[in-house]
Amino acid sequence: MMEAAIFAGITIFAMALAAIGSATAQARTATEAMSAMARQPEAAGQIQTAMMLALAFMEALTLFVFATVFVLMGIF
Amino acid sequence: MSSSMYLAAGDGGKVLFHLGPLEVTGALTTLWAIMAILVLFFWWATRDIKEMPETGKQNVVEYIVEIFIGFFEGIMGRERAVQFTPLLATFFILILVSNYSGLIPGAGHITGFIPPTSHWAVTGGLATVTFLTVQYSGIRKKGWGHFKHYFEPIYLTPIMLPLGIIEELIRPFSLSLRLFANVFGGEMVLFAIATAAYTMQPALYVLLPVVMGLELIFGFIQAFIFTLLSAVYIEAATAEGHH
Repeated sequence: MMEAAIFAGITIFAMALAAIGSATAQARTATEAMSAMARQPEAAGQIQTAMMLALAFMEALTLFVFATVFVLMGIF
Repeated sequence: MSSSMYLAAGDGGKVLFHLGPLEVTGALTTLWAIMAILVLFFWWATRDIKEMPETGKQNVVEYIVEIFIGFFEGIMGRERAVQFTPLLATFFILILVSNYSGLIPGAGHITGFIPPTSHWAVTGGLATVTFLTVQYSGIRKKGWGHFKHYFEPIYLTPIMLPLGIIEELIRPFSLSLRLFANVFGGEMVLFAIATAAYTMQPALYVLLPVVMGLELIFGFIQAFIFTLLSAVYIEAATAEGHH
């Protein structure tokens, strides 16, 4: 029981850490993309597509942590 | 939460029955239902197509197809957009409907009704189709030249070859994991909120529609991302000249 509680705490911490990391990176990306779009509205479509791609790759890292946590949960 | 909830992610759900040596799970039956609905709808909508559309349904379907072709044209050019839109648009529509099927009340708790994209087996299959399409179309377009970039520059081959192969194999992995984890994570959040509201604080039920609204956006974005990444990978494999 104690081990399970410790494990739950660690997983929450891991998820929070991963979320902070990718949220910071995604915020930077979105900020830059939006100011680029404001400066050049005619290129907004291309910038948006590229931004989506970049965001997807950052998002994936959080989701890898999420999946890893679930795999470990199956073991515990 | 019971431990069976955790394991559901890994084993593809409970086995309902066997079809020969194959196990049929709830995700698969839901996928069949979605496929049947989509096939019937598009069969009905394209039953008597004319050169000049007379009916509203043909107009609607042509409008949808033109949106897809126009979008992929920006990534891979007109010719390849027309060539690959059937596959990519199918990905998008199938994934979108699958993601949204998880928002129907009872999804995941009724036997034989589990949103298909919340299982890695389903998204892994879709990503495998992307992987095979990339390899097949690349080889058909460039022959052995498809594998040339593993050996460029030639003096870095010992490093570039393993890196290239790992990169190629990680793509379907991350493509499928991203979609699966998003949908599954959304399901888990909904489940956790509903459980907490039921057992502890009824006011938490207010959160459910909020999260469901977010899920509507996420479901669309994930279907979009999967299609976009598939299009980019196919574009890179069939690009002329550079690379």
